[in-house]
Amino acid sequence: MRTSKGKTAFCFPGQLQERPRLEDHPRLIEDPHFKECLARASHQTKFDLLNFSLKRDGEEAGLNLKLQISTYLLSMIHFYRMRAAGWTPDIFAEHSMGIYAALAAAEAVTFEEGLFITESIGGLLEREGTFHRGAMASIIGLPLEEVQKICLDLDSYQLFIANYNGSMQYVLSGEEEGIKEAICIALSRKAISGKQLSFQTALHSPSLSSLREEITNLLKEVQVQSPKFPIINHWTIKPLKREEIKDFLSREIGRPVYWARCVERMLQEGVTQAVEIGHEATLTKLIRWMNRDVEAFSAGDGLREKG
Amino acid sequence: MLQPNDHLIEKIKHLILQRLKLADMTPEMIETDAPLFGEGLGLDSIDALELVLGLEKEFGVIIPDAEVGKKVFQSVRTMAQYVLEQQKAT
Repeated sequence: MRTSKGKTAFCFPGQLQERPRLEDHPRLIEDPHFKECLARASHQTKFDLLNFSLKRDGEEAGLNLKLQISTYLLSMIHFYRMRAAGWTPDIFAEHSMGIYAALAAAEAVTFEEGLFITESIGGLLEREGTFHRGAMASIIGLPLEEVQKICLDLDSYQLFIANYNGSMQYVLSGEEEGIKEAICIALSRKAISGKQLSFQTALHSPSLSSLREEITNLLKEVQVQSPKFPIINHWTIKPLKREEIKDFLSREIGRPVYWARCVERMLQEGVTQAVEIGHEATLTKLIRWMNRDVEAFSAGDGLREKG
Repeated sequence: MLQPNDHLIEKIKHLILQRLKLADMTPEMIETDAPLFGEGLGLDSIDALELVLGLEKEFGVIIPDAEVGKKVFQSVRTMAQYVLEQQKAT
């Protein structure tokens, strides 16, 4: 593997959209970090990542919460694996609920606190999805102005752009019926793809701002430290300060994710290598879309030796 | 239906590897008739946009919408057939 001349970013992805197929990754399952993380998690949560990943039946109760915990655990496992293999990041970036693992990896919170935050906020979202069902959709291949116009054309539904993932890569959030209509309109206006995501809440939209107080309350138990690695705050495009973290966590589910800004900031910082600290390669592909010179790959693709 | 030759099939495979930065793969590892999405090569809609751009840059052909994209991106062969059809039409 070639040695990177610039900086290395570790990028923490948001929630998985489907069960991770861990049976396809026997090396990962046998990895000591995998076993240790699952053992630590088992003291705190009834959720069993391995059993969850092996189930192949259809929908089940609490699927999104389980996917959120899976995402957190897999990010932490891959983070420990990469560190053990000699990788040292210069900077962290995170997408949506990837912030929980990013904070734990940067030791701003402990592994256990990160899991507690993931499970607690995930539980709030689960409840919200039951009483105020929402939805999300990825719209790919339309310019921003066109996506904004779709939101305006369907203004009776309160639709919002939830993720700014790069040019022609957006995620909408809002009422489920409106999201379904938005997909139809987007496809009729020549989108390359319009797809409803697994979420049952209107994540990253103002409708979830109502959860802020409850999140603030549950975070009272968490002792936040200064992050050991700078984590880009995608609203300010500056490193997240210790004193900002709880406020960020309480607000972020009600505000959009500006991933494209994060990538731009990483490039300005001299990042030439971006490692997705997760099981899939969504952020890797979004980085590739924005800049083809960055060497981007997912830790989930297999463990690389540090060059 | 127009049948693409081996040279065009090879070019399409190179385009996929290059656009999607599949550094660990070779053209021989991509089956000409295997599905590109889902259970096949495992591509997704972000990859689709890369391929749309790649076809336009490399061959000057345009995928106008998702419906056409769905048909074109079934396999390497359908991509090559679409390139041939579009080139013949112009």
